[in-house]
Amino acid sequence: MNAIVAIASTTVGEAVRRRVLLIILLIGLLLLSIIPSLGVLSARSETSTMISTMYAVLRFTSALIAIILTIYMIPNEIERRTIYTILSKPVQRWQFLLGKYFGAVAALFLMIFLMSIVMITLFVIFQHPDTAKIAEVAKQPLFYFIEMCLLAAVALFFSTFTTPLVNFFLSIGVWGIGTVLNPLYSSLSENSKTAPFMQSVAKFVIGIMPNFANYDVKNPIINPGTQIENTTFYGLTIIGYGLLYIGILLIAGMLIFDQREV
Amino acid sequence: MKAAQRSKLFAWLVGLFVVQFLVHGLYVADKWSKSYASAYRHGMLTEQLDPSQIMLELFGFREFLARILWVRADDFFDEGNYDAVLPIVRLCTILDPKNLDVYSTGMWHIAYNFTDDDQRSDRRYIAPALALGKEGSKQNPETYECFFETGWIWYNKVDDDYDKSVYWFNQAVQRDDILPARRNLLTRAYLRNNQVPEALDYYYTLLDYANKDFEKNNTDYVAMTQRETIEGNLDNLITRMVQRGWVAQRTGTYGQGDYDTKPPFDVGFSARISVEDPKVLRFQGTWNVLPVGTRIRVVVRDEDIVSPDGRRIDGPAKMDWDYANSVNLDPPKEVTYMQDECYVKNRHFDKRDDLSKDPTMYPFSRRNKRFAVEFYYNPRSSPDSMQDKFGFNGEGFTDKNFLSTDARPGQRVVFWRTYLTYDQIWRTGEWEHKTPIISTPNFESSNISADTNRIITLSPSIRGK
Repeated sequence: MNAIVAIASTTVGEAVRRRVLLIILLIGLLLLSIIPSLGVLSARSETSTMISTMYAVLRFTSALIAIILTIYMIPNEIERRTIYTILSKPVQRWQFLLGKYFGAVAALFLMIFLMSIVMITLFVIFQHPDTAKIAEVAKQPLFYFIEMCLLAAVALFFSTFTTPLVNFFLSIGVWGIGTVLNPLYSSLSENSKTAPFMQSVAKFVIGIMPNFANYDVKNPIINPGTQIENTTFYGLTIIGYGLLYIGILLIAGMLIFDQREV
Repeated sequence: MKAAQRSKLFAWLVGLFVVQFLVHGLYVADKWSKSYASAYRHGMLTEQLDPSQIMLELFGFREFLARILWVRADDFFDEGNYDAVLPIVRLCTILDPKNLDVYSTGMWHIAYNFTDDDQRSDRRYIAPALALGKEGSKQNPETYECFFETGWIWYNKVDDDYDKSVYWFNQAVQRDDILPARRNLLTRAYLRNNQVPEALDYYYTLLDYANKDFEKNNTDYVAMTQRETIEGNLDNLITRMVQRGWVAQRTGTYGQGDYDTKPPFDVGFSARISVEDPKVLRFQGTWNVLPVGTRIRVVVRDEDIVSPDGRRIDGPAKMDWDYANSVNLDPPKEVTYMQDECYVKNRHFDKRDDLSKDPTMYPFSRRNKRFAVEFYYNPRSSPDSMQDKFGFNGEGFTDKNFLSTDARPGQRVVFWRTYLTYDQIWRTGEWEHKTPIISTPNFESSNISADTNRIITLSPSIRGK
């Protein structure tokens, strides 16, 4: 356990020092700060526009950070040969992998937290919402954090057997497909013209891929009046789903990394 | 890692995979679709999405994209590039079906802004506009706006089938967020639909609302004005119910009293249609009513109009505007449907419509052997001052030749339909050098000459100028 914590804390330190991540974070923060001026996009739904645009920036920036943070983790260690120093100590490969992952998660948390604080502060300054609304707006970043943990697990899994460049496109692709899976499923399952066989195939494919769209729960937040039942249960379920999938990816990563020649 | 550990991990991997598959398949996917995927609510849009539109869902930025696109639509609108606005409207509603601005502005834009050279709107767009309203209200059932806007298109733009505007306004007033003054329109729709008792009842309901608002704050000028307006409207309606003989008709004493609607006034409608040049039509006629401002509807349309699913949707001076249940912003390009109003002054009308300037709007397609030309007047659409003579339902007016109770069942309207052939409209064949003229038998050209007896002499100004 100590080994995992030590590797994780080192990873956080490295992440915070990486310029490319800081630049992405800075761009995210800058974009967030100009959003209040975009109220002009919709005269009557200024609040919805502001929130949805902020969420869009937060999600995209977080995804970039999650991917770029994770894709270099193992390849860099191998390239710089620092992995030999670590693995020559009483550290198992799976501990190394878990340490790296938890380090990435902690770094992600710090960055998403920072962006969320800026986002909520701007929201409070420009919209003067009540506490309930602030709490509601703060919910979505929590789910984005889980989504990004899942994305980081995907990228880490790929990094056990691919180069960073390939990993970048693979991770972006999986995330892109994962965000469109639910709408695709809805489209196929609710379209009367879809053959039952195709509906089953769609359901199967959606069932095996990591589904990032589950974490996009902003609909009732940006559209006041939308009534949704069992939100807490749904929230807990998708957190559980995320943890399950992260577990799957980490185990698969461990199995692959264990066999890999470094 | 030992082989046993690897096997154990592999077993965990499979186990977790099965569990996540079940969790997602049995609960998460359906719950997300029903609750969080606003664009797919009720499955309404799914059948209209093509893969490229689905891809716009990518990364979940649909509301953001919708708002950016809507700003672009605004630019197109300012530039007068109305055609470019249409696909953006559709895309915005697909991406963000909760954006009421897009629905309400989009409906108005579609129904009103596609006009010909003389500012007559392209009525082929009414059905898509109404379909957009239907979709918007299904997507946003919690707010009044789309219901009201749909009702308004029926009430103002279609100006017919008043039961539809009653239905939509009724839906709108059931939503708590409706603006107080907008509730009043339901009473107007009731009156046009000949639901006088309902209009009266609803005025009392409005008065209750207004009184409550006023009691809450009796220094609020808006509340005071609203109350006074409703009181005034209520007084007027009760007076009209009596003076137009509506009450007497219900009590069986109409025959005994001297009401404003008696005796029925013969409006003396006559008309002549001339095709002066290819697709240039002139409508002349008489209307034996002194006050200026009567507008007689004239429709020139394909003889048979069918919906995309093959149903015949034309009717007397109308279409089945409600034929579309899904939004298709590409209206039937082959169909010709021109509607105009002939303005009556000095008891006659004379209107020249040059439809040749807008070939895409008025294709007068060769697949039609002939085209219907219809004249229509419904007292229910006329101003209150006219209805004071003609009655709520036309009982105070008649026409010796063209009174119809079939064109709109249960209503007394003036209706005349005739046909022009393809050759007549296009001035081809035998009509190339001969002007086609069709008249009602009672039409006399002298009736529309500048007969001084028929000219209204304006009274001196009350200012003495």
